[in-house]
Amino acid sequence: MKSEVATTSTNVPALAATELDAVDQRRAMVAKQPDTCPGHEHEEPTTGGITLPDTLRNLRSATPTKKLWRSMSELSESPEFKELLDREFPKAASEWTDEVSRRNFMKIMGASLALAGVAACTRRPEEIIVPYVVPPEQVVPGRPLFFASTYTMEGLGRGIIVESHEGRPTKIEGNPDHPASLGAASTHMQASILSMYDPDRSQGLLRTGDNSTWDRFVAEVMPRIDALRATKGEGLRLLLTPSASPTLQRQLKLLASQFPSAKVHAYDPAGHAPGSAGAQAAFGQDVNTVYQLDQAKVVVSLDSNFFVDNAGSLTYAKQFINGRRVREDNHDAAKMNRLYVVESTPTITGAMADHRERVKPSQIEGFARALLAKVGGTGGDATASNIAWIDALAADLTANKGAAVVIAGEYQSAAVHALVHAINTAIGAVGKTVYYTDPVYITSGTGTIEELVTDAKAGKVKLLFILGGNPVYDTPAALQFGASLEQVDFRIRVGSYNDETSFLCHWHIPESHFLETWSDARAFDGTASIVQPLIAPLYDSKSVHQILGLLTDQRDQSDYELVRATWGAPKSTITPEAKVFENWWREALNKGVIPNTKFAAETFAIRAVPAVSTAVGGDEIVFRPDPNILDGRFANNGWLQELPKPLTKLTWDNVFFISAGKATALGIPLTDKWDDAWGYNVTVSVNGGSVTGPAWVVPGHPDDVITAFLGYGRSRAGNVGNVGVDVSKIRSIASPWMGASVDIKRADGRVRLACTQTHQLMKGAGPRDLIRVNTIEEYEQAKYGPHGPPAHHGEEKTGEASHGGEEKHGVAAAPVAGAHESHAKPLGPEYFGGTADTAMARKAVRSVALTLYNQHMPSDPPYNQTTNQWAMSIDNNACIGCNACVVACQSENNIPIVGKTEVIFGREMHWLRIDTYYGGDSVEQADGPYFQPLPCMHCEAAPCEVVCPVAATQHDDEGLNVMTYNRCVGTKYCSNNCPYKVRRFNFFRYKSDDETTKLMRNPDVSIRTRGVMEKCTYCIQRISAARIEAKKHGGDGGDGIRGGTSFGKVEGENTPLTACQQSCPTEAIVFGSLTDPSAKVVALKSEPTDYSLLADLNARPRTTYMGRFTNPNPSIGNG
Amino acid sequence: MAQIFHPSMNTVAKATIIGGVLFAVALGALGSIVDRSPYVTQQGVIRDQPIPFSHTHHVKGVGLDCRYCHTSVEDSGFAGIPSTKTCMTCHSKLYQDAPMLAPVHKSWNENKPIKWNRVHNLADYVYFDHSIHVNKGVGCNTCHGPVDEMRMTWQHSTLQMDWCLACHRDPGKFVRPKEEVFNLAYDPKKEAEKRKISVADLQASLLNDYHIRTTGHLTNCSVCHR
Repeated sequence: MKSEVATTSTNVPALAATELDAVDQRRAMVAKQPDTCPGHEHEEPTTGGITLPDTLRNLRSATPTKKLWRSMSELSESPEFKELLDREFPKAASEWTDEVSRRNFMKIMGASLALAGVAACTRRPEEIIVPYVVPPEQVVPGRPLFFASTYTMEGLGRGIIVESHEGRPTKIEGNPDHPASLGAASTHMQASILSMYDPDRSQGLLRTGDNSTWDRFVAEVMPRIDALRATKGEGLRLLLTPSASPTLQRQLKLLASQFPSAKVHAYDPAGHAPGSAGAQAAFGQDVNTVYQLDQAKVVVSLDSNFFVDNAGSLTYAKQFINGRRVREDNHDAAKMNRLYVVESTPTITGAMADHRERVKPSQIEGFARALLAKVGGTGGDATASNIAWIDALAADLTANKGAAVVIAGEYQSAAVHALVHAINTAIGAVGKTVYYTDPVYITSGTGTIEELVTDAKAGKVKLLFILGGNPVYDTPAALQFGASLEQVDFRIRVGSYNDETSFLCHWHIPESHFLETWSDARAFDGTASIVQPLIAPLYDSKSVHQILGLLTDQRDQSDYELVRATWGAPKSTITPEAKVFENWWREALNKGVIPNTKFAAETFAIRAVPAVSTAVGGDEIVFRPDPNILDGRFANNGWLQELPKPLTKLTWDNVFFISAGKATALGIPLTDKWDDAWGYNVTVSVNGGSVTGPAWVVPGHPDDVITAFLGYGRSRAGNVGNVGVDVSKIRSIASPWMGASVDIKRADGRVRLACTQTHQLMKGAGPRDLIRVNTIEEYEQAKYGPHGPPAHHGEEKTGEASHGGEEKHGVAAAPVAGAHESHAKPLGPEYFGGTADTAMARKAVRSVALTLYNQHMPSDPPYNQTTNQWAMSIDNNACIGCNACVVACQSENNIPIVGKTEVIFGREMHWLRIDTYYGGDSVEQADGPYFQPLPCMHCEAAPCEVVCPVAATQHDDEGLNVMTYNRCVGTKYCSNNCPYKVRRFNFFRYKSDDETTKLMRNPDVSIRTRGVMEKCTYCIQRISAARIEAKKHGGDGGDGIRGGTSFGKVEGENTPLTACQQSCPTEAIVFGSLTDPSAKVVALKSEPTDYSLLADLNARPRTTYMGRFTNPNPSIGNG
Repeated sequence: MAQIFHPSMNTVAKATIIGGVLFAVALGALGSIVDRSPYVTQQGVIRDQPIPFSHTHHVKGVGLDCRYCHTSVEDSGFAGIPSTKTCMTCHSKLYQDAPMLAPVHKSWNENKPIKWNRVHNLADYVYFDHSIHVNKGVGCNTCHGPVDEMRMTWQHSTLQMDWCLACHRDPGKFVRPKEEVFNLAYDPKKEAEKRKISVADLQASLLNDYHIRTTGHLTNCSVCHR
């Protein structure tokens, strides 16, 4: 069968021929099989993809209740999709594709029979055991240590706590005491540990490609530096990425004093700059903007993906969701905040929006201008936007003066930022929901990379140090950075990989990872913290501080001494001041935060509203850093490559996002099925260049915009990173994040894409079985009747008749303090079911009386009184889809990556997946998507346990469904029987055997090999450790219930935290013991919005969910 | 037609079938015997060590407590093998010139650790935690045998799962007061006499005091296997 993969340009690397053969061979084999399952022959088999007219036809006949669908195939209800759902796994999912002749088969079977016993007869190999010579302090073999450090995103710090086993860092978690993480950790923070252990990291200095040493480098470069001292540094240039490190600032000042004519340039490959240009336009100077979303009832985002794209995003996400949780004790709809989003490309912030409009990026300025006029600011233009609900929005903003805020996107133009600053001033947000401080970046006020290129081309640059970034790759091709480099006399590159930029430089010096060096950083609000290393540099690498130390004649100082000097370490170590400093230093390191370093709010006056930008025409293009790979820095990070992207669930590739309408116009079929996901090639021409790459239809994408992602198409990323399409050819220098007058044409060929959207489908009787979405208004009407929720306790006590939904008016309902549920109608299963009783009672109410399973469930006495009963509650309303939990689980549990081909076959190994559901009747105006994280349900009546022939998966008496890898023989019956499809099978020995990645593995979790089933274990290793600690040190009289340590430094928590729970910025996942009355999970399970998936199957899952709510503005049509 | 097979083939056929069945059974039995033999379990096998360390001398003779060397047995899953520094606390002064101790001094001087041959080795899929056992009253010699009589160290127990289960199914038989965990001469009968109760009562009271769950919790797979 001929392959159909595109090879039209070298920018589109196709699957390797062998991989492709494997995939196509399987399809050939599959094509020979009957198309329909036995019993389904009456259904018509179809071939090819589904078309938009078919989809629309199906939609028109759909029932008026809100449809929820994971993929366009599901929406169209094509017979192929129905068959896929019935089969549960695609045809030939677990089959071997190699041709095996009968004769070979008999040979192999005979040999394995003959050798059957041999494997079992070997005995365990003899091992040696090696103690220390002098044991280091504090290290107890077998117990991890936790150290605080700081991760920098775009130079701004986020506090982390790193778990270290015998001197090796193995897991990164958020620092609860740090204002920029508050205990959470994003995908990049979690995955950065793999970057440190990456076997492709450069390990030694290179002099034009040949191995060299630091001494030789110093010998070659010092004479040049000394020569430049004579000219006061004329010709010495540094190129940095954004930094907020006080130590670096001090070093740069010292450099400026020694080399007054030297220049420092900074560039931001992932796009922070427009914000400061906007601040310049609005205030006349650079300012730092800090939001306080916990004060905000109305939040408006203009192309801002503030849930992930901002250095403060973990905090903002938490603050925002805190204002949105729907709980029994805050049931007032008026309390729930509201989010309006106007964006040019689908984002996860847009997914959470109550009202959303997707427009061309150039139209956002018009919207901002119109909004400014409508809220009463000067300089706006009320006619500049035609979005229908702008008046209602303006009314909402003015009604909530002081509790509303508008956020401008990082990638929007300076004009939009200036307008948004003006709007925030007009609605009284300044000082309440947003405040301004002095700039946190030390690189404000430095030169730009364009200036560097100009100077280089003019021959003015004699000695250039490139510290971080990868400018040859991640700048727009129009800048011609690579070409300009050739004209620099001597170029030195400090970076983690021998990449595209190193290739063009004289010297490449490996850069130490942040876990290997001392440094410091400021967070988005100015809070400073120390970057503490966890391990000595693995290779012959240097930190940026050491390079600057070389330049500023401070070579004898290590980065430890440099950082301490920045914070005031006295020269002597025996004076009283030294003692004071030492205590302060240790305290700062222990907490991970330097106290009292937050920047104070300053007042800045708005200067001018920028002039209207010239109109642009035609389709527009939006460039964004890839959600996982960013600007390419994580291209070789396998975890991030394989992490399904939040909206599209694509892996290992970048695509152009287009709308369904655009796809039809271009003649591209819509395919997103299991292993049949294709990206049809399109050629995108803009800004004088053109790029060909696969296109992908995203529901809800604006028709006249396409989205392109950076970070892919690299040539020297490492072993796994050279995939995808490089879009730098079509970016412009003046406006690197958007472009206009885009020409998009269908090109030849298509690329097979690894998309997990339709993997692991659950078959529910209806959409209500899986994800439940409703507006808060409808929910409250159903619960409390037309009069809304009752008044607060205080008023009830005075005996006033509340407006709770009692049937008879005029009858004073006897107010019982706290029992406001007596006013509420119990909701039937069509809403969120049940009464507000204890978790155990709810189980009794909900479970079906007739069951074939024995009644000795872990939730029956005596278990439920004497042991912990672990359970989890996941709030769909809080999940923003950021994927932090997925990477946290991968990091904690040694989950391997499988590569693109295997992902296409549905064999990705993530124990936790995030299902996305779109809502509504139209692919163009799809609502949401709504996110639902799915770990193992740990069903009390687990369907997987009864079918295992070797008892490898059993229930323990604490409610966990336990997996014993050494017993598993790989029948895969359990995975077949699991209705939630949460079990993952190891088809191959996916684990890598590199020496460095071995160091990264968590020794508390088994590493699984081929032929063994695995799944989420509720982090049994953490539960076990916490239980052992509790039993040893008391707690509840040593019973092991409650009491004991938690991991990281979460104060006040007595129960273990699962990795996913710990890293979630919005606390969507809550885990705990049902027998602990003070546990949060008990309270959450008694919420009326709590439900379990596929409840009619009576598996009694311990993982339950809470419904997702939207809060549309009642004065806006149909939202 | 001539007979192909000689009449004796009848006997041969019967014998082969019965013999085959018996052979298969014997093979199975042999396999399970071998699997429980010291060849596979390493029970009682003395392993060569770089230094012929004598527990008899150090424990019975000198009177060291187990924890002097195995320092993390109460805190960590791993009991700990003493570092060279621990040996040097005495041997920097005692037996300085003994050729038997030359590797210790070499290790100390060159800062290279001593590579012992591991005696007790569980499979990698078993996550055994010393500290919980020690804290719940399981004595050292319950599992490790009479260490004070080992001139060279060997593995006293089979360390197979059914041996672990013997206690996990009935912990009462193997629990002792926490103060006696490191007492290699502990005798439950003497302890019961001292307290003037029966051995069965002693066991019951210890289980109660130390909150050792006997409702089947200890036989959960997740207690040892992750």
